[in-house]
Formats: sequence, structure tokens, C-alpha cells
Amino acid sequence: MSLTKMFQKMNKNIASNWSNFKVHMLQNYGENPGNMLVHTGTLGWILSSLAQVGAVVFNDKISPEQKTFLIPQEIADAAVNILSFYALTYSLKCFGAKLVSTGKLRTKRIRNFLERNELMNKVGKLDFDVAKQDNFSPLADHYKSFKNGVDVVTSTIGSIISCNILTPILRNQYASKKQKKAIANMQQHNMQNIQHPRGISIADYQKLASMKFSNSSGLKI
Amino acid sequence: MRFIFLGECVVITKIFNRITNTPIYKGVKKNIRRFEQGALDLLPDATFNKPATVKLIGDIGRDISSAENRLILGVSALMTQPFIDAKNKNVDEETRKVSVCRTIAKIIAGTFTGYFIRKGCIKAIKAWSKIPAPGIPKYKTLFTPKGARSTNNEAFKQYQNAMGTVAALVVMLFSNFLIDAPLTKFLTNLLVKNSGGEKQ
Repeated sequence: MSLTKMFQKMNKNIASNWSNFKVHMLQNYGENPGNMLVHTGTLGWILSSLAQVGAVVFNDKISPEQKTFLIPQEIADAAVNILSFYALTYSLKCFGAKLVSTGKLRTKRIRNFLERNELMNKVGKLDFDVAKQDNFSPLADHYKSFKNGVDVVTSTIGSIISCNILTPILRNQYASKKQKKAIANMQQHNMQNIQHPRGISIADYQKLASMKFSNSSGLKI
Repeated sequence: MRFIFLGECVVITKIFNRITNTPIYKGVKKNIRRFEQGALDLLPDATFNKPATVKLIGDIGRDISSAENRLILGVSALMTQPFIDAKNKNVDEETRKVSVCRTIAKIIAGTFTGYFIRKGCIKAIKAWSKIPAPGIPKYKTLFTPKGARSTNNEAFKQYQNAMGTVAALVVMLFSNFLIDAPLTKFLTNLLVKNSGGEKQ
């Protein structure tokens, strides 16, 4: 196969994939803005967490002692942020969607529809879906607009709880544990490098060195 | 190539069917459903009677894109995260102070770049996803999906928001390192300096 033909085939493939990607985006997110917020939000957190960890790692002005706290804090922040964002936001979004689809959360128009079709006894049952009932089509636009609104509200509430309340609490606990461990390791390493002094016992010297180390650091836990 | 792909699909479907037929999977699924039903039963039915409330919920679904969502997250983060860090008794005072300053700096830098990049990308996608027509340059249809006939419908607007957000994520691959990180560092140093601590 000549180079031109190969290039043409590659171009065709790229064009076809790009076209499929656009159609996929339209089909998946066009009708579901809540899903889009959750998925792109998760991707966004992954990327920004990478940058934040990098910012601490490459900042020479942060002391090694503080880095022992800040780097685990950033990594914990990233892991908890990403996991809690996805798990909590997605669960809350799905629960909100279920509330609307089972008729638990409804507008006056939806309630009138349910009453008119004698469906009130099915409201709140997991298998019941308002959108799958007969004569639903006149209500479709109103229902979709309401459902999308609830989706966005629940996913926003989920992301606020996960990123702004749950994450800082969890990451601080995790990071402080990591910091304690790292400082203990650092102290142990320093002890191993101490040379045996003359005229003083090794136990006394270790005690002195330990006191000196703990006073020189700003990090006392 | 096509046969290999089809073969892979068949294998995946078989594995999936085998997993979904296991008693463990069925048991877990049954319990999840029971939990979901329990949660639904706990909540009372609610009807929004006021047209203004229903309109507001509809508007939120239509108008809140990822940019506004990022702004809401940033503002609420400023109201909670620094206080949580300030109350962290597991670290000494100096580290706690740096941690609070860094959290504030991170939120400001992240929200600022996150909001404007998302907003800008969504605007750009809106400009470059026109319906093909005589007089419309080809580059303005670069993001138009195949078969789209009108830009004036809800699904298409949400598509533009989604595509804009994806484009923003690509831009943020670079801006996180070029703008976010230096801005966070600068703001952290400024806040630490103003709070009486050493420059980081």
C-alpha cells in the first residue's frame, strides 16, 4: 500500500471516529445534563489533582518537613476527591432521578397525569416509571425539563457534599497519619547516620540528637 | 479484523452473562434493590405546586452548565474547606496555617481558571457547531454532529455544553500546569506572608 493511500485511509478513520464521537456525545449527554456534570467533573478532578500534586512536589520553597504533610495531603485529596465525587454525586443523581421517575417527586401537572390515569397507588415503587406509561407523550417535554433540573440540582448537591465537606475531613485524617509515619521514618534514618561520639554513651547521644531534631522542626505532632 | 472484534464481543457477553447468573451477583442486586426501595419508602411524596418553582427547576437544568457548576462548587468550598483545615488538630500550628492558606489559594485559582476556561470553551463550541448551510464556513461546522438539523433545541444546547466541557478539560491539561499551579503557589505565598508566616 502506497504512503498516500495509507494516509488517506488514516484520515478517513479519524474523520469517521470524530463523527461517531460527536453523535455519541449528542445521544448520551444531550438528554442528560446531570450525567455530563458527573462524568466531566470526575475527569476534571483527575486532571486538576495531578497539577496540584505536581505543584507541591516541584515547589523548592516548601520545606521537606512540610512536604511530608502536604504531598500526602494532596494525594489523599486527589484520591478521596475523585472517588467520593463520583460515588456520592452519581448515587445522589441516580436517587434524584428515581424520585422523579417513580413519581415520588413531581409537579402539579405530573400529579394530575398520575391521578387521571389512576396510577397513584404505584407511586414510589421501584419498577414504576412515569415516562413509560400510556398517554405520556403530551407530558414528555414538561417531564424531561423537570427531570433534568432535578438531575442537575442533585448532582450539584452531591458534589458540594463530597468535595467540600467529606473530602477535607477524610484527607486531613489520612494525611496526618502519613505525616506521622514519614517523620518517624525520617527520625529513624537520622539516628542511623549518627556516628559514635567520644566521651559520651550512644544512648545519651541519641537522646540529645532526638531533642535537637524535634526542636529544629516546625512540625510537632 | 471485524471477525476478531465480533469474537471479542461474544466472549465479553458470555463472561457478563456468567457473572450476572451467579448467586452472589443476584444476592447483591436483590439487596441493593431492597435498600433503594427502603430509601424511597422513607421519603414522603412531594408535589411542587408553584409554577415559579417548577420553572426555576427547569431553568436550572437548562442553564447550569459545567462552568456555573464549577463556580457554585468554588464558592461553597471557600465557605467550608478552610474552616475544616483550621480545625485540624492533628498537625502543629505552622503547618495548619500553611494548609489553610494553600486550601484558599487552591480554591481561588481552581475556580477562577475552571470557570473561565469552561465558559470560554462552551462559547467557542457554540460558535463552531452551526448547522451546515450556504455561507457558513466549514470550520464553523467542525463540532456539528452528523444529522443535526437545528441548534435551537434543548438536546443540542446540552450537547454544546458537554462538548465545551470536554474541550475545556483538554485545555486544562495545559492550563493546570501553566496557570493553576503557579497561581496557587503565588496566592499561597501571598496569604502565608499576610498571615505573618514565612514565605513558602
